[in-house]
Amino acid sequence: MPQGAKHHGRHRIRKSAAAGFALAVGATLLAGCSSDSGSTPTLTWYINPDDGGQAELAKRCTDASNGEYTIETSLLPNDAPSQREQLARRLAAGDTSMDIMSLDPPNVPEYAEPGYLAPIPDDVRERTTANVLEGALAGATWKDEVVAVPFWANTQILWYRKSVAEAAGLDMSQPVTWDQLMEAVASQDKYLSVQGARAESMTVWVNALIESGGGQIVENPDASADEIRLGIDSDAGKKAAEIVSKIGKDGLGGPGLPTQTENFSMIQFQGDKGAFMVNYPFVWPATNAAVEEGSLPASLIDDIGWALYPQVNEGEETAPPLGGINLGVGSKSKHPDLAYKAIECIVSPENQAYYFASNGNPPSNPDAYNDPEVVDTFPMAGTIRESLDLAKPRPQTPYYNEISTGIQQTWTPPQDVNPDTTPGTSQQFILEVLKGERLL
Amino acid sequence: MESSPIRRRITWTIISILVIVYALFPVASIFATSFKLPSDLTSGTFLPTTWSTVNYEQILVGDAQELFLSALRNSIGISLIATFIAVVLATLCAYAIARLDFPGKKLVLTTALGVSIFPVISIVTPLFNLWRNIGLYDTWLGLIIPYLSLTLPISIWTLAAFFRQIPWELEQAAQVDGATTWQAFRKAIVPLAAPGVFTTAIIAFFIAWNDFVYGISLTSTSAARPVPAALAFFTGASQFEAPTGAISAAAIIVTIPVVVLVLLFQRQIVSGLTQGAVKG
Amino acid sequence: MSTSVETRAAAGGSPKGRKPGLSDRARAERRLGFWLAGPAFIIMLAVTAYPILLALWDSLFKYRLTAPDDRQFVFLSNYATILTDEVFWRDLLVTVLITVVTVIIELILGFALAMVMNSALKAVRGWLRTAILVPYGIITVVSAFAWFYAFDINSGYVNHWFSWVPGISTDLNWFADFGTAITVIMASEIWKTTPFISLLLLAGLAQVPGELTEAAEVDGATWWQRFTRVIVPNMKAAIMVAVLFRALDAFRIFDNVYIMTKGAYGTETLSLLAYRTSITRLEIGMGSAVSVLLFLCVILICFIAIKLFKVDLTGARGGN
Repeated sequence: MPQGAKHHGRHRIRKSAAAGFALAVGATLLAGCSSDSGSTPTLTWYINPDDGGQAELAKRCTDASNGEYTIETSLLPNDAPSQREQLARRLAAGDTSMDIMSLDPPNVPEYAEPGYLAPIPDDVRERTTANVLEGALAGATWKDEVVAVPFWANTQILWYRKSVAEAAGLDMSQPVTWDQLMEAVASQDKYLSVQGARAESMTVWVNALIESGGGQIVENPDASADEIRLGIDSDAGKKAAEIVSKIGKDGLGGPGLPTQTENFSMIQFQGDKGAFMVNYPFVWPATNAAVEEGSLPASLIDDIGWALYPQVNEGEETAPPLGGINLGVGSKSKHPDLAYKAIECIVSPENQAYYFASNGNPPSNPDAYNDPEVVDTFPMAGTIRESLDLAKPRPQTPYYNEISTGIQQTWTPPQDVNPDTTPGTSQQFILEVLKGERLL
Repeated sequence: MESSPIRRRITWTIISILVIVYALFPVASIFATSFKLPSDLTSGTFLPTTWSTVNYEQILVGDAQELFLSALRNSIGISLIATFIAVVLATLCAYAIARLDFPGKKLVLTTALGVSIFPVISIVTPLFNLWRNIGLYDTWLGLIIPYLSLTLPISIWTLAAFFRQIPWELEQAAQVDGATTWQAFRKAIVPLAAPGVFTTAIIAFFIAWNDFVYGISLTSTSAARPVPAALAFFTGASQFEAPTGAISAAAIIVTIPVVVLVLLFQRQIVSGLTQGAVKG
Repeated sequence: MSTSVETRAAAGGSPKGRKPGLSDRARAERRLGFWLAGPAFIIMLAVTAYPILLALWDSLFKYRLTAPDDRQFVFLSNYATILTDEVFWRDLLVTVLITVVTVIIELILGFALAMVMNSALKAVRGWLRTAILVPYGIITVVSAFAWFYAFDINSGYVNHWFSWVPGISTDLNWFADFGTAITVIMASEIWKTTPFISLLLLAGLAQVPGELTEAAEVDGATWWQRFTRVIVPNMKAAIMVAVLFRALDAFRIFDNVYIMTKGAYGTETLSLLAYRTSITRLEIGMGSAVSVLLFLCVILICFIAIKLFKVDLTGARGGN
């Protein structure tokens, strides 16, 4: 039974936009809810946590369907590995309520390979992927087939404090390199805010560094576990390890680095020693909200600038991290056709634009970037769009979880990374885990 | 050790304060955190700079309402049912152990002991597989059954100890005085046994209320997810922002029943845990 | 209930009225005993014995939940992998370390608390009991969060309060290093479970005959002598049981580690390894093998305690 819930956009600039909606959200997701609703089938949408945007989209699309279906949302945990865990367990259990799922792109192959995802009807695929950013589409593809519908795409950009960049003499209108940034924070006695915790964010960072350096973590993502070839032990891997290691050893990331995730990078960046940060666009609304709340000075906003993710080798194009969410349909769903109809509604450019403006999650459809509200809320929308064009996904393999955890365990804490040995041990460790010869 | 009553009193006051600080400090700590504004969370102070109820609003009437309230409902419902079943079964079992002669008494007690030291994590995987196959995954029953493995052993032991101390002759005495068997049982035995059963229920409830491993492993939606597992689902305003405030507020709310039960029944709980060996 | 009571009354009440030749009454009593104790017994067995046997079976396979078609029988090779892997031994060592350290500290603290409660003035006794029952009753996860937030470099105040202590500064990141992280994990564990051990010890203290301590006091024994020569020997059984129960409990530590570090930086325990392997990685076969090994460790501890230290569990918990 759906329960009306007042939604309060807590401390957000889009408070007005988000407040007051009664969300049609399934508070009690009783098993079988989707089957016994009589004339109107209920679709369950497993959503990752956000600021209420997906629940609002569920409501909008339910209304737009004119009684054809009702979408109820069910919340997943707040970190990607736990989301994967919950979804994989339910999918493996043959759960029939998996109508729509918000999927983290790196996990898509693991669901697609054993056939847990319902095939996309050709017409839906054509319509929903006709105008989609390349990176986002890659994250929805497995073995050359589109298996999920891109919903939104995330990327990290370089955020900087104009005052610090100026003091360090960096010309931010030109691409900058990691080396330049490290030099700048060292000379200015500031921090370079990255994510060094033993968490998914570490893989995101390492992947971006290796990709930017021209390498690849997995060279043949389609291969089976014992045939996978890794590219961590390479020149690009070594260069990546040099960067991680230097930031850790020289204390450039601050004392919190070994446990630092996206949120605390942002807090560090907002503080006295903030200088440069690689992070997702959520930073912008969050910082604005804190300023409105009065806990940060208003001058901070004017001091913040943005640019593309730093380069690893000067002059070589950067490969920023790519994240986001794709929408998939469980193969055991009772209403796959309706689920895909609902997905088409959810990913419409207007809805993507709304979602970006209200929740800070960038669209996978380039057209949505021209939406006036988007440009108004995110002055850096152009940079984000550009970054998404360059962004490279994390390895698309069914063994992503093993590879990612293996990287997290061997590349943290950052100060213990050794450019000469870490890439080699990391690669060997992951290969042994994949062969089932080692514990993770 | 020869000291005046006043010095004795002062010593005891100091000792008591020390013990109370020890016992309550972490609770006070998370209590203070739960009233902090999001921007105040990193201030490095114990008390909030301004006391705010935003975190409570978030979980009770705001964004996290369905998440928290459904988890709270699951926690209360599942714990109460598991407690009730455990206490009923344990009462029957303990009665048999204390009063009847049958082979296998020792086996039952040993089994209870064995189950109580069983590593929960060892059976989570097979239970998960089993529940998947028979449809108990992510249901109330799917948690109630494993909770019984946590609550039954201690209930049986505690109640058996209680029942052994009951002067059962009273029952016969009442019967001699003309009461029927049922009346004798109800008037003479039930009043003596009830406190033990009640105490056992509280202890069993604490154990069920505390569970985390089963909660995170055998559920995946708000259909059965209990509060300790739901804490990992809280989020800040966006996926990347830390849910410190919401978790703290939720933590305080689930601690309230514990504190209330402890305040009301401290004597019974202590005697239950120590098998009635302590005199109040 | 009423029928069972009637039957019991008909059976003649006291167990002592039994005869060797199994009269009808004795047989009826037996049957009643089975009926009353049976359900609890069967449930306990079903919820533990069946799953552990299933785990034993699963542990012989290479079986990943998301690749059900690749399931294959590998006999003991999962065990070979685990037992030759340093991760397993490291986790075992961490688990043993946590067990030993927490149990020792809890025993000392618990003794102190038990003595305080035992000799406290009546007026404060209720307060003390109420206070120490709060950690006992609080949810472990809540306790873990409370300690985590207090020490965390971003949200904590501990660094600010104790920055005058050598080695602690506002830049100390407790959860980035094994030594400091494990300290906080153990502190949280100790805080939460000391009340339980102190209550078991309190029950033991009550069993020490008062005349003995008084006689020792008359003989001029110091407080320490009375404690070591009279009190401790007289409650040895209670101490042993308390230690064994806590040790087995500490050996299974999961919640605190999961919340505070998720096992990062060497703080992983065996329970967490089992959880990560089977629930997170969905490697059912390998995870089951870790679970079985964990189970064997617990059995081993129990066996050592009972055989070597002659702990009589049944007597002590039963209270008679």
